[in-house]
Amino acid sequence: MDVAEKAPVEATFEPLVQIEMEMETFLSNWHHCDQLSTFIARIISHNRTDPVRHANFFSSALNELLEVSFRGGSPDGQIGCAVYRHGRTERVKLTFPCLSRQRQFFSEAVSNTRREDALTHYLDSISTGLTPSRDVVFLDLAINFDAQIRLENSAPPSITLVVDLPLEGVVS
Amino acid sequence: MSTAGLSIPFKAEFDVNSQEFSLSGVVRPRSIDEIAVNISMLKEAIDQVRGVLYINVKRLVQMNNTAFHAFARVVLDACQAKPDIRFVIVTSSVVGWTTRMFGHLNKIEPQITIEVYDSKFYPGQSFVENTSFISILRTQTKMTWRHERTILPRHGMRSGITMADICCGIGDFVVLVQKEFQPARIVALDHSKASLAYARDVAAGFGITDIEYTYGDASEMLLEDNQFDFVSCRHSLQIFNRPDALLAELYRICKPGGRVYITNEKNSHCLGEPRSQSIQWTYNEVAKLFSHFEMDVELGPKSRRYLADAGFEDIVVESFMVTNLDGDAQDFADVIAAWENVYAGEMSVKRGDSSEFIQRFRQGFQDHILAALHPKGYAGWPIWVASGRKPR
Ligand SMILES: C[S@@+](CC[C@H](N)C(=O)[O-])C[C@H]1O[C@@H](n2cnc3c(N)ncnc32)[C@H](O)[C@@H]1O
Repeated sequence: MDVAEKAPVEATFEPLVQIEMEMETFLSNWHHCDQLSTFIARIISHNRTDPVRHANFFSSALNELLEVSFRGGSPDGQIGCAVYRHGRTERVKLTFPCLSRQRQFFSEAVSNTRREDALTHYLDSISTGLTPSRDVVFLDLAINFDAQIRLENSAPPSITLVVDLPLEGVVS
Repeated sequence: MSTAGLSIPFKAEFDVNSQEFSLSGVVRPRSIDEIAVNISMLKEAIDQVRGVLYINVKRLVQMNNTAFHAFARVVLDACQAKPDIRFVIVTSSVVGWTTRMFGHLNKIEPQITIEVYDSKFYPGQSFVENTSFISILRTQTKMTWRHERTILPRHGMRSGITMADICCGIGDFVVLVQKEFQPARIVALDHSKASLAYARDVAAGFGITDIEYTYGDASEMLLEDNQFDFVSCRHSLQIFNRPDALLAELYRICKPGGRVYITNEKNSHCLGEPRSQSIQWTYNEVAKLFSHFEMDVELGPKSRRYLADAGFEDIVVESFMVTNLDGDAQDFADVIAAWENVYAGEMSVKRGDSSEFIQRFRQGFQDHILAALHPKGYAGWPIWVASGRKPR
């Protein structure tokens, strides 16, 4: 991890909460995604303008990210989820172990959210496949939650998703 | 961590008479197999309807992409197979992301449209969400607080509890409760954005930062089940066309063993001397006027029955009378003047009343004001307070 490069960005984001768990434990129960997202959302939203609705929005987005790590993660190591705040934006950093072909997939999916035709791509995938591809989850976050998503370098086999969610502006 | 059981359970229902398929609660399946029953229910619904199928997602609190895609798929396929059916997806202005998410379907199939359910759907809503009500609420609360302050502890109010005030208006009540009783957590919900904005300003002005003001629809709240020791709903059951539905929601969010506290009026019992007859005539008419707009401002004494029917136990009912002698008689007069403005000046006009009627209607309010300010006069506004405990 390149600390020198990271520091100036981190300086403006204030940490709110951080949770770590053995990946194996996390993967033992699908409901962990729902429970963690509900729990974290409630904690970080209490001092937002409309805490109840902020928590609802935030939980919705965080749950999708946790589901992605549930479906794409591998059992060795830890999953870490940290939430930071800067002004009207919350930043989620989700770190979890995954196989190298998954890393490749994630980096493509993330870069697809920045493509100009992201919406078209999103609509296509709603109107075709029966189940959503994980790729669509990122598009959903970018399109429906105005999320900015990127991957941060972390030591293999871990991967870190950094997702900025400007929900305060969307909610109120 | 124990959050299990807090989530609002998922439900899918189809009502063939209203051609409405509704989804509510939290649905976050791992695979579509978990919701296969609900998916086939939607398919059957589509087979049965003619013309329009309403898909109601107003009470959908959470839905993951897996579920969204599965339901969307069925509807999109149906658009191809049955070009004669239209789909109207009804979302809520409270849960913003559903409107965004379902809104995309219209871009794919114009047969699918989105309607955002909002205040316009309540018969009396426009009057009570009116900003001209703000100043009345403020003075009203000041007057009722003198009484409720001593009444509240008899209904379960104490320090350290978690409470919610539903239909909080401009939030003065929770600010007063916060100062007097110091609950550990306060959530205050209303459906008027103007009132909430005002409430947040007032709280900030007092340096109060821990009241959670939230925009919501009291008859379908995002708040989870069994959360609060004390749930208050003041002067508001009486303005709902379905008070029982609202009470069911208050019951739902109350903890087992906690209490729901409601206050309501019986407007026809407002009184004053001198000129009691004119006053009485006008307030009888107030009750009729509200019922024209499907609101029951005679609800106060019915509280006991409503609470019992909703499943509460240990029901406590009491009443008090706000009078011109309590504090400042001018405050009393100001409230009556504000009522006259809204009831005679707006609601009566809206109902299409004649100018003779409106004139006589106004006279009773004027006489009530006179009674309040008269050196030997007496003016009263009776309120019923009731609470019940949710069984453990
Ligand atoms: C008569 S006022 C009472 C306000 C406050 N409890 C008080 O005593 O001052 C009724 C309140 O109910 C709110 N209200 C009406 N319909 C609502 C709904 N569906 N959900 C939430 N609040 C609603 C109105 O905005 C208004 O603030």
